[in-house]
Amino acid sequence: MSALRRALLVARRDLAAERRQPDGLVAALTFTVTLIFVESLAVGPGEARRPAIAAALFWIALLFAAILGATRSFERELEDDAIDAIVALEGGRDALFAGKALALAASLAVVALVGGLLSLVLLDLDVALPLHLALALALGVVALPPVVVLDTLLALRLRARALLVPILALPVLVPQLIAATQGTAAALAGDAGASLGWSGLLVAFALVYGVLGLTIVPAAIE
Amino acid sequence: MIETAIRPTRDRSRALRARPWLGAASLAASAVALGMALVWAPPDAVQGDVQRVMYVHVPSAWLAYLAFVVVFLASAAWLWTKAPWTDALAVASAEIGVLFTGLALVLGSIWAKPTWGVWWTWEPRLITTAAMFVMYVGYLLTRGLSTDFERRATRAAVLGIVFVVDVPIVHLSVLWMNSLHQLPTVLRAGGGPAMDDRMLLTLVVSVVAGTLVYAWLLLERTALELARQARILEARR
Repeated sequence: MSALRRALLVARRDLAAERRQPDGLVAALTFTVTLIFVESLAVGPGEARRPAIAAALFWIALLFAAILGATRSFERELEDDAIDAIVALEGGRDALFAGKALALAASLAVVALVGGLLSLVLLDLDVALPLHLALALALGVVALPPVVVLDTLLALRLRARALLVPILALPVLVPQLIAATQGTAAALAGDAGASLGWSGLLVAFALVYGVLGLTIVPAAIE
Repeated sequence: MIETAIRPTRDRSRALRARPWLGAASLAASAVALGMALVWAPPDAVQGDVQRVMYVHVPSAWLAYLAFVVVFLASAAWLWTKAPWTDALAVASAEIGVLFTGLALVLGSIWAKPTWGVWWTWEPRLITTAAMFVMYVGYLLTRGLSTDFERRATRAAVLGIVFVVDVPIVHLSVLWMNSLHQLPTVLRAGGGPAMDDRMLLTLVVSVVAGTLVYAWLLLERTALELARQARILEARR
């Protein structure tokens, strides 16, 4: 079985488990919606309508939703010791990292879609460049999982993992957060060149941490 | 395997025995650098005496880079060889790197207040440096929360490799983005150093003195960590 098929198998299994018991997805969705709502109230609806603020509120919410989703996904593996079986398989460690990252990206795409639509409606945002916005959203979502999954894996067997994962992931995700926020804001405001430039940075970020994760992840999984 | 790796080899013992000499050399070099920075180097034509902060700020930033690159190399060596001295080297360098990153941030802030009018501003070099500081605090925190020696070393090694990506980002951020921070003055792409000769020499001496201090602290902390590892080994028997 090829490495890609193994990774897809893990991702399909993760998504199937999520379909049967969608507590991780529901928690991430609820959290994102609540955070966007509360953040918009805190800065004031007038202020939150500015493209840069609306984009920042959305991506901060999605970033925490990614951490929440990854933590829940791995907790499920720990509850029935399934992770030990996957790790014991040939190529299982790589498949676990890649599969979890793919599944998280798929879940986050749903959360981003719902959260994005909610932001558009609640904040009455105008979208100047819909295709650029879709590209920035898609690349921003793809750039998140490699770092979040890697850090969740590292903190998995530690009691303080709920504390540790955000501490480890957030500083690394600073370039992703800035690029995704600026790319989204530029697409909302109608600056095509800036939006594409920031999207390029998101591609580079996803590639660097995706390759890095696949290279060293066998050593990280216990 | 752990027993063999922890036991000091002749080469490692020789390196560790050099500590008093290195300590003396680094203190002497620091005294010379301090004298040059405070007395010999001229004040900046625009900034005046506050510019002298540069003679500690720049070496601190350089040593932070160096320390985290050493963490990366030691981490890769741990994953490759599983030799405990590589883990001792990694934690020693990470702690010193956090110290120098914190020093660079604080000194930069002290310089920024009279020069820029603010203690802190949201510009790329400052943000990426602060992120690097938090990353390596997280690295040390992860080490502290792990109890098993080999798992802790492996976790830390992976983080040491992932986090080093931030070092070139910090350094090149002033070139990639619009930045209020000073652009490279010594290693410039378009020509030689853009500063007075006495200032340049003082800066070079300060960097050399700082590097000696780093090497001394590294050996001292590595020796402490090796002693700690030996105690763990004793407890296992």
